[in-house]
Amino acid sequence: MRTRKLTDLLPFIAPVHILILSVIVLPALYVAWLSLMQSTFGQAPSFVGFANFRRVLADPAFRSALWNTVVLVMVAVHLELVVGLLLALLFASGLPFRRVLLVCTLAPYAVSEVIAVVSWRYLFDPDAGPVTQLLLSLGLPVLDWSFEPMHAMILIALLTIWLHLPFTFIILYAARLAIPADLYEAARIDGARPWQAFRRVTLPLLGPAIVVALLFRYIFAFRIFSEVWLLTGGGPARTTEVVAVYLYREALPTTPLARHRQPHGSWFWRRCCWRWVMWRCCASR
Amino acid sequence: MRIDRLLIGLGKGLAVAVLLAWSLVPIAFVVISSFKPGRDIFAVPPRHAFSPTLDHYAALWTRWGVFFDGLWNSLLITAGATALAVIASTCAGYVYSRNAGRLLNGSVLFLIVVRLIPPIVITLPLFPIVNLLGLNDTHLVLMVLYATFFVSLGTVLMRTFIDQIPRELDEAAQIDGAGRLTILRRIIVPLAAPGILAVAVFVVVFAWNEFLFAFIFTGTNAKTAPLVISEMIGSIDGVDWGILFAASTVQLAPVLLFVVFMNRFLVAGLTAGATKG
Repeated sequence: MRTRKLTDLLPFIAPVHILILSVIVLPALYVAWLSLMQSTFGQAPSFVGFANFRRVLADPAFRSALWNTVVLVMVAVHLELVVGLLLALLFASGLPFRRVLLVCTLAPYAVSEVIAVVSWRYLFDPDAGPVTQLLLSLGLPVLDWSFEPMHAMILIALLTIWLHLPFTFIILYAARLAIPADLYEAARIDGARPWQAFRRVTLPLLGPAIVVALLFRYIFAFRIFSEVWLLTGGGPARTTEVVAVYLYREALPTTPLARHRQPHGSWFWRRCCWRWVMWRCCASR
Repeated sequence: MRIDRLLIGLGKGLAVAVLLAWSLVPIAFVVISSFKPGRDIFAVPPRHAFSPTLDHYAALWTRWGVFFDGLWNSLLITAGATALAVIASTCAGYVYSRNAGRLLNGSVLFLIVVRLIPPIVITLPLFPIVNLLGLNDTHLVLMVLYATFFVSLGTVLMRTFIDQIPRELDEAAQIDGAGRLTILRRIIVPLAAPGILAVAVFVVVFAWNEFLFAFIFTGTNAKTAPLVISEMIGSIDGVDWGILFAASTVQLAPVLLFVVFMNRFLVAGLTAGATKG
């Protein structure tokens, strides 16, 4: 009976699972397996254990790419969280034309990374970009992103935040709206000041939403490719490369195939471990 | 007290102004500049009063025919990916919502965990396989890839939305002799329409804008619009900003309008996804 029911249901869930198995799971396993192998095109892979990992970790370009990615993710995601939280509180405190403002805030979500790069390259053009000119006329320092690696990183971070702030904001805002107003009423009657109400009511109740927003954004931010690739191409002189750009560069030009497998593998496992730690932290709360 | 309120009001107004500038200025500049005569685009100081022109659009039409092919490809791929993702996740979401069991619950968890694997990891091993199957540079490969990256989220979303439809409706239909497929078509799909639209919004926005997969898996035949635009940027010295802005506006406008009109479903989808997923 039970097996019959299952075979009955199978056609309904099969499409989803076939897609995921064939497009994501099998290739990922293949990468994990290859990461332990020595292989080039046209040659049978041979087992080399963790040698690939050692080699890639010794590569200064990989280390710099990894460092850039980590710094970028840490700065961009946390700034996004703080600003998103402030925006959620601003919207929850009551605004006129709320729906219109909400749609305006969501607008960057619809913009392709490619278009965003076009726009930001223009706005921050070191010679004649409107923002550059505005900064100059105010006597402020400008972003010389085509020469200064640090400035390029700042621009990439700003662009990433611009593209993804709507996501963080909406999750936090929805969670904030779900907090019943009675709680604030009760806190006020108990003599809580606004800051105390935020600290003792809003923040704890937003906890799960903050974790969700952070997790999603960590996961997606680590994948960053297009913004960097289209804005700086990893330059000047590979100083702004991130892991995904490094992988692409190592994989597709002349380098033998083997070299590019390991970063996937090591990256993958590192992220799995790290994610497990994150989940444990969340669960224990 | 009154001064306090005034200050708060002023602060809020300022915050809203900054927010609007931050969100809209980069978009507005692209759209407005696409109508500026070429010499005004990089005018110092910026020229706000100008006589609008359609020259860049005309130039785009005559010089970058490949861009319009790209738009057509994007449209086909977006439609295919959306249909595939919506159908697959509605069917699966229905089953997961109405049935429980250790095996089923386990497979939902599996869907969510798998979603965490970064796309770049799978693109490179997929590349030779796709080549081997002769699917490189076809619309099909991008449809399947885009759909796959949203079916897990889509399934979880659809389950959340279908959970809100009373089971009694299914049971009543069952007594009338309806099979699973009929129930799905006649009862679940109409009532879960907001969920379906939410999933569709996610997939449409993603598929229309995606760059990395298109960059790796297409060459000439199935090249999407964002890829053509990136090629326009790529010609570093000879960037014709007017044409670039015109192309960007054409690519951006439909999806921006779509998000504006569908914002309710987008918010509902993100909310459901965040609390349940």
